[in-house]
Amino acid sequence: MAAAIRETAISQLRRGVLEFCVLALLRDGERYSYELVRALGDAEGLVTTEGTLYPLLGRLRREGVVDTTWRESPSGPPRRYYRLTPDGRAAIGGFVTEWTRFRDSVDALLGNGVLG
Amino acid sequence: MTTDTLHPLASEYLERLRRAGRRLPPARLRELVTEIEGHLSEAIDPNASDAQALTVLDKLGEPEAIIAAETPDPDELPARRGTKEWVAIILVLGGGFLIGIGWFVGLVLLWNSRAWSTREKWIGTLVVPGGLATGVLIGRVLLSSPTKHFCYGIVGGAQRCTSSLGPRIASPALAVAVLVVLVLASIATSIYLARRAA
Repeated sequence: MAAAIRETAISQLRRGVLEFCVLALLRDGERYSYELVRALGDAEGLVTTEGTLYPLLGRLRREGVVDTTWRESPSGPPRRYYRLTPDGRAAIGGFVTEWTRFRDSVDALLGNGVLG
Repeated sequence: MTTDTLHPLASEYLERLRRAGRRLPPARLRELVTEIEGHLSEAIDPNASDAQALTVLDKLGEPEAIIAAETPDPDELPARRGTKEWVAIILVLGGGFLIGIGWFVGLVLLWNSRAWSTREKWIGTLVVPGGLATGVLIGRVLLSSPTKHFCYGIVGGAQRCTSSLGPRIASPALAVAVLVVLVLASIATSIYLARRAA
């Protein structure tokens, strides 16, 4: 029971932060889908199934926080390159501030054993 | 078709993805399949061993899970026909017979449901207000007894009665035609509502 509650909470947290992790990866320049998915997949505990990141990328395109261009790849099918739009840049900027505050508060509470 | 250069297990995976995504809007599915195909062609060498291929596919997750992640939340979709929608349809059709208020209860349910657009709700409301009961009522009025008797007496005199023409304003054939049209229109509206909410 406790494990189930924890799993739900963690998966909701993941879902909440993942799109900002994608935006953060794009701050320094464009990347193509597979690069993004591998970078997120390699981060410890962040992604359970890499495939579900592709629907997330689609959602970010529709929300207008990223722009994409297709380019030929030296090998295999063309690659879709993602880059931040001004909206996306604003979104990640705002999130970093909020996240820092949130993380510090949670860390402080957890550290003091307030939540068990 | 780049699928030819994919590992056989990767091609099989893509096929499962296409099948699982049949209910997605075609453009969304095509986009998703293109992206996943790119992933597979980069992550799995066509000559890789099955074990290597399976490791990549495991990390990618089940095709059904990817499709589920692509499917909009139920909240974003118009609601489908549920018990409440059936009750609304039945009451809009026949609720008029339930001490007159059944039809109004049906209307409240109809307008509160997210299964219909505003245009469909107006059709459900206005095509035959009152539903079947209206048809039956109008039919009965048109077919009702042609005469009514008014009697009044004059004190000390003879009682006099007059016979006036009742509200029989139509021939029985016309009355039956109106009845049939109204009943059919009510039923057609119900079928329309049921189909639109499906």
